[in-house]
Amino acid sequence: MTTFHAPPLAASVMTEYYRQYLAVAVFVGAALVMVGAMLGVGALLRPKRPQPEKYITYESGSDPFGTFGQQNVRYYVYALLFVIFDVETVFVFPWAVNADHSGLGWFGFGEIAVFVLILVAGLGYLWRKGLLSWA
Amino acid sequence: MALNQFLLLAAFLFAVGAYGVITRRHTVLVLASVELMLTAVNLNLVAFGAFNNDPVGQVFALFVLTIAAAEVGVGLAIVLLIYRNLRSSDPDDVDVLKG
Amino acid sequence: MILGVAASLVAHNPRIDWFGIAPEGTLVATAVAVLLLDLVMPRRDSWQTSRLASVGVLVSLGFVVALYERHGGTTPMFGGAYVVDNYAIALKGFFLVVAYVTILLAVDYIGEGDYYQGEFYFLLLTSVLGMTVMTSARDLITIFVALETISIPTYVLAGYRKHDRRSNEAALKYYLIGAISSAFMLYGMSLIYGVTNSTLLSDISDKVGQTGHGKVLAVAIFLSLIGFAFKVSAVPFHWWAPDTYEGAPTPVTAFLSVASKAGGFVAMLNIIFFGFSNRSNVWWVVAWLLAILSMTLGNLTALRQTNIVRMLAYSSIAQGGFMLVPFAAYGIARDHGHLSVAQTSFQAVVIYLLIYGAMNLGAFGCVIAVARRTRSADIEGYGGLFTTSPALTVCLSMFLASLTGIPPLAGWFAKFVMFRSAIDAGGWAGTSLAIVAGVNSVIAAYYYLNVVRTMWFKAPATEAGPVQVPSALGFSIALCTVLVLAIGVYPQLVGHIGDLAAKAASVATGS
Repeated sequence: MTTFHAPPLAASVMTEYYRQYLAVAVFVGAALVMVGAMLGVGALLRPKRPQPEKYITYESGSDPFGTFGQQNVRYYVYALLFVIFDVETVFVFPWAVNADHSGLGWFGFGEIAVFVLILVAGLGYLWRKGLLSWA
Repeated sequence: MALNQFLLLAAFLFAVGAYGVITRRHTVLVLASVELMLTAVNLNLVAFGAFNNDPVGQVFALFVLTIAAAEVGVGLAIVLLIYRNLRSSDPDDVDVLKG
Repeated sequence: MILGVAASLVAHNPRIDWFGIAPEGTLVATAVAVLLLDLVMPRRDSWQTSRLASVGVLVSLGFVVALYERHGGTTPMFGGAYVVDNYAIALKGFFLVVAYVTILLAVDYIGEGDYYQGEFYFLLLTSVLGMTVMTSARDLITIFVALETISIPTYVLAGYRKHDRRSNEAALKYYLIGAISSAFMLYGMSLIYGVTNSTLLSDISDKVGQTGHGKVLAVAIFLSLIGFAFKVSAVPFHWWAPDTYEGAPTPVTAFLSVASKAGGFVAMLNIIFFGFSNRSNVWWVVAWLLAILSMTLGNLTALRQTNIVRMLAYSSIAQGGFMLVPFAAYGIARDHGHLSVAQTSFQAVVIYLLIYGAMNLGAFGCVIAVARRTRSADIEGYGGLFTTSPALTVCLSMFLASLTGIPPLAGWFAKFVMFRSAIDAGGWAGTSLAIVAGVNSVIAAYYYLNVVRTMWFKAPATEAGPVQVPSALGFSIALCTVLVLAIGVYPQLVGHIGDLAAKAASVATGS
């Protein structure tokens, strides 16, 4: 398993790596100051007349109903399908990156083809069982 | 950054997950806690791999990730099946879970 | 999938022994073919999938036999992560035979109920694929992937009676315990990887032997063993087993209690003998405790059962305890510096697994047959079975007597090799193991023979005709009967296999 090259992680490289995050920290700080200032000034200046209607969740003008968390079960199948093919890329991706220069060649292609074909067989199964149609 | 920081975070995540597994009654929350434990495992593997300069840790983490996904898929299916059966056995209950 | 990805990570010229992985390849192809065949078949013809599945298993078994004929040496693949040696070949053969018998047990049960048929065999074949991969796995990643390939389909199989609440509960309990135990095992494995910087068991074995990292390694080994203890339902990690076994469809229970459990034990064999040998001081106490607790509690609880499936569930926990004895014996001996015990204890586990498979599958076959008439699994319902179905009664009595360990039957040889390993280990720990195992064999005799007594001497509970045994079920029971008798009379049959396996293992462990 020696052909897979991870970048060397000497201590100096690590500190350099984290230094790059300094810019992110500056952005975060600036964002906090700006948003805090806007909201703070708004809170000081605006008139305050509380009414219960104002506290209803805004859903494009229609009244909200039900509680959070009850989705249609149908979404489950789609979520699962998504996860399967999402995870598939986890395996296809390393192959794709190494496909042209690591000498995997047709052998690697054959292996990944078998892998994808088995998944396609599973997809065909789902299709025939009618799980892909919204009914 | 020292390796220990990653390991301590992972150990903490694992402990939180294990605590959740023991205390939560709801199956979905137990599953979420198991996922937390697996996250700790992945963190361990990737941290060890990075600090030992060895790619196998990452490969292992990928396998853990994939199989955890498959496992959760089956788990949710079982939970769903039980939920449906319990609902259908109780006609007074509102049938919110159509599908 | 596993092989494909593993191969793509190996060096530029992956040398793959295609013949070596032919059994697994056949299983993959058969599983996919079964699934696709089920799609194109009309529903009433879907029993045909069982034919395709059994043909696939037999072809795979043919490859295993051919592999055995081909050579005696080891074939490492994927940088040593996957090894096809005699030990692997012997257990691949065992798992495939178990799969074949399970298909025979299930074909009428699944065909007569309102079940999805193609999917059943697909899941079964996938699980068996995981087992055959496990026999060759010499790498933490491969072991983990194989273990999950074994487990995930069985979660679904346990809940196969979709509208039965008990089956639902069985699936849920089995699933949760499986997921949690995997998490513990993986955490242990991640620490082992961190300390040794390798996932290959041979590397781990070398590095574990060096001093240092004592506490981390102890935690890591302990956590991985807890994971496996769940899988093989060793006390105190056993509580899911009786519920799952009772709720699951009975052919699935037979499969779980034999194949799935054996899969867990093979994983333990690999990881303990090939990986942790040099740290036996850490794990022998764990194995010793698990063995003693499983034997004792399993047997004592089995005494109180009135349902035969639950009784067999507790009995299989106790039998698992007997199988843990050689592990503990190996650890004790290793700790005292006697390396020679490695051979006998390894052999003992393999032989015990093979024999346990034959007799437990046979017993479950008889239970399935009887349940066709009585629709229940109460031991009371077995009263007077001898008057209505004498042949079945004789078979079931034989399997139960064999599980007890009565001499002319296979079970005694399994017990014999197990005792031998404990006594060879010596010291107070080995001796106490042998004594506890002896006492437990006596306790076990009580509840096994109680069923036999009910069948032969009790009056029938209901007026019922003889049990109709379908041909597939009858054939599988007959096969198990022949095996149990043949091994009992001529133990060299499995003794030889155990020898080969232990020799292959000793080459690998260098002891």
